[in-house]
Amino acid sequence: MDQQLDVSKLSEADKKELTQILTSEAQKSTIQQTVHHLSDICWNKCITGSISSGRLDQAEDACAQNCVERWMDTNFAVLKHLETLRGGQ
Amino acid sequence: MALFGGDSSSSQDAKTALVKQIQQEAAMNNARQLISKVNEHCFAHCIPRPGSTLSSRDETCLSQCMEKYISFWNTTSRTYGIRLASEQKKLGGQDAAAMAAFGTPSSE
Repeated sequence: MDQQLDVSKLSEADKKELTQILTSEAQKSTIQQTVHHLSDICWNKCITGSISSGRLDQAEDACAQNCVERWMDTNFAVLKHLETLRGGQ
Repeated sequence: MALFGGDSSSSQDAKTALVKQIQQEAAMNNARQLISKVNEHCFAHCIPRPGSTLSSRDETCLSQCMEKYISFWNTTSRTYGIRLASEQKKLGGQDAAAMAAFGTPSSE
């Protein structure tokens, strides 16, 4: 962790490649962030009874999937409506 | 190893080390967040009225809850990934992840 990294040692080609890797890592982290958020809100909606097994049963699994899909729909619906509001101005 | 920096092999080394460090930190961050969410949800679910000790019943509940939360997270991740890919295709390569991230509060 405390290993010294000398960026000045990097060649131009490696700098370019590094920038690409960083961009994709940042995107991956954004996606994971959303997955954490979704798991958080969908857990509250889907896991309401008492927990009697460590496995996800079929109903819970289906609820998780529906929750994610409807959340995405909501997102796009809001954006779409925003567009019409902006168009009406 | 050369005495002076800037040769291709030490550039490679620096790059590999940097990428490795970034990936490790990202994985650690992700795990830390997952554990924090497990804690939050399973405490709420399994320990409604904190007693003087953790009963074995509580412990069983916590273990099951943790396993369930991780499975739940995996289903969420898979579903979101598939949906994102299909939206991206629909948008013709536009960044659907960036769009969807509008609905995600930036957190810890």
